[in-house]
Amino acid sequence: MTPQEAILSVNEVGVRFVRTDGTPAEALRSVSFKVFPGEFVCILGRSGHGKTTLLNVVAGLLRVHRGEVRVMDRPVRGPGADRGVIFQQDAVFPWMRVEENVAFGLRVRRFSKRERLRIAREHLALVDLTSVGRAWPRELSGGMRARVAIASVFANDPPILLADEPFGSLDYVTRRQLQMVLHDLWRQTAKTVLFVTHDVDEALMLGTRVIVVKNGNIVEDRAINLPTPRTDDVIATPPGLALKHLLLRQIGLE
Amino acid sequence: MKFHLPAGPPDLADSRSHSDDIGRPGRRARARRELISVLNTFLGIGLFFAVWWGAASQLPRSRLVTPLDAGRDIWSNFYYSPRLGVFGLGEVGYGSLLLYTLGNVLTGLAIGGSIGILVGTASARLKLLRVFVDPVVLVLGTVPVLVAAPLFLLWFGVVPFTQVLLVALYSAVMMILFSQRAAQNINPIYERWAMTFGAGPAFRIRHILIPGTVPEIIGGLRITLASAWGLEVFAEILGAPSGLGQAIKALTNLNNVSGLLACVVIIATTAIVTDVLLFVLARRIAAWA
Repeated sequence: MTPQEAILSVNEVGVRFVRTDGTPAEALRSVSFKVFPGEFVCILGRSGHGKTTLLNVVAGLLRVHRGEVRVMDRPVRGPGADRGVIFQQDAVFPWMRVEENVAFGLRVRRFSKRERLRIAREHLALVDLTSVGRAWPRELSGGMRARVAIASVFANDPPILLADEPFGSLDYVTRRQLQMVLHDLWRQTAKTVLFVTHDVDEALMLGTRVIVVKNGNIVEDRAINLPTPRTDDVIATPPGLALKHLLLRQIGLE
Repeated sequence: MKFHLPAGPPDLADSRSHSDDIGRPGRRARARRELISVLNTFLGIGLFFAVWWGAASQLPRSRLVTPLDAGRDIWSNFYYSPRLGVFGLGEVGYGSLLLYTLGNVLTGLAIGGSIGILVGTASARLKLLRVFVDPVVLVLGTVPVLVAAPLFLLWFGVVPFTQVLLVALYSAVMMILFSQRAAQNINPIYERWAMTFGAGPAFRIRHILIPGTVPEIIGGLRITLASAWGLEVFAEILGAPSGLGQAIKALTNLNNVSGLLACVVIIATTAIVTDVLLFVLARRIAAWA
């Protein structure tokens, strides 16, 4: 795969489901886009418009009705270690200590115990959780557990990271901190990120590109060329505000 | 790779300021809760004995004896009790009868519990298995012990196997229900997350299903153990070659109130001790809960 080739291709993907009253509904209608290595793509949209469905399809957790998803030119048949996922819901295993959680993916891949612990501790240091490696998840705050989730996924070193509104349930300050933690890790590791959010500011703060999903269709696919680091001041510049208004219009808020 | 926390409000930006203490307040609070729980248990036991003592002081000795009398009865009949030999129990005391009862309870619980945990967790995941298991559990669970125990006696005779089978059967039914519920209660997000790391079915069973269900299963096991004591003693009263149930039957025929209460105290004490041991085991293997 050359750097110009897409790492992820979503080709005319459609997803149907049946409502509780028996009527069919389309969550995604022939969605197509490509993601290139190192991009930080934010999938933006309102609740119920298909962005989480899209992420689950890429993760291999949901089957498509039509179309195809390809990762590194191989069709997606199910979940796999090449696509790390951070869910909105707290998924950190409560029966494993923090460092065991971070080392989980490595255990699946049969790394030696010594190597697992070395990598887990290294990644705990990256998210500033060195001192809680032997703690149980119930002893941590929600923000710290979110850091554990980030460390777990990065420790497994997947080429693609999928995040489904991972900071949606956190308070503003913690959310901002974690956005920067994730952004810094992305810059250092040059991974490809697909990040679902309903927050326009979050998309502008993090993304190199924003894809707006509305009623199961892509209505906007735009590169974000704002300078980094993306502080509030950068978003408040005329180009930043123009982008913000455009995205708000596209998701149907203005 | 070097990473610096982004700037933010000083009280929230640096988790290092409070992360060093993580776990300590939680452990202290937990230890305090457990101490209070133990004290409450002793308080409850003390209250029970106080009420017993008070009632015994108001009633004639032919109806109720004091806890001290029951204690003396245990002391003098623990290794050998001539009055039990009259009823064909041989040269026995409460101690050897207790060993018989305890052996049957633990054997029945081990067999029934293992089957119940296996079938319960498997049926929670396999719909096809649940189609067969659920009606069987429903039928077996509604058959009263009063009906099942005499039937087992008729089929298998007055042998230890009869009591073990009864305990195993009802333990299995209870543990199927507890284990099924425990497996269904695991948040599906954990398995989904494990799958995204590439974990296959066998790995997920070992690292998600089993540890995730342990606390609830052990809770169920403690309830099942308490029921198993009642079942075993009842089965022994109906007919058994040995056991404290047989002693209770003999002592009832002798109108021996202190002996009866001595048996009750022995059974209750052993049941509490086995429950505490199970609780300690649970704390060791599910310390995270």
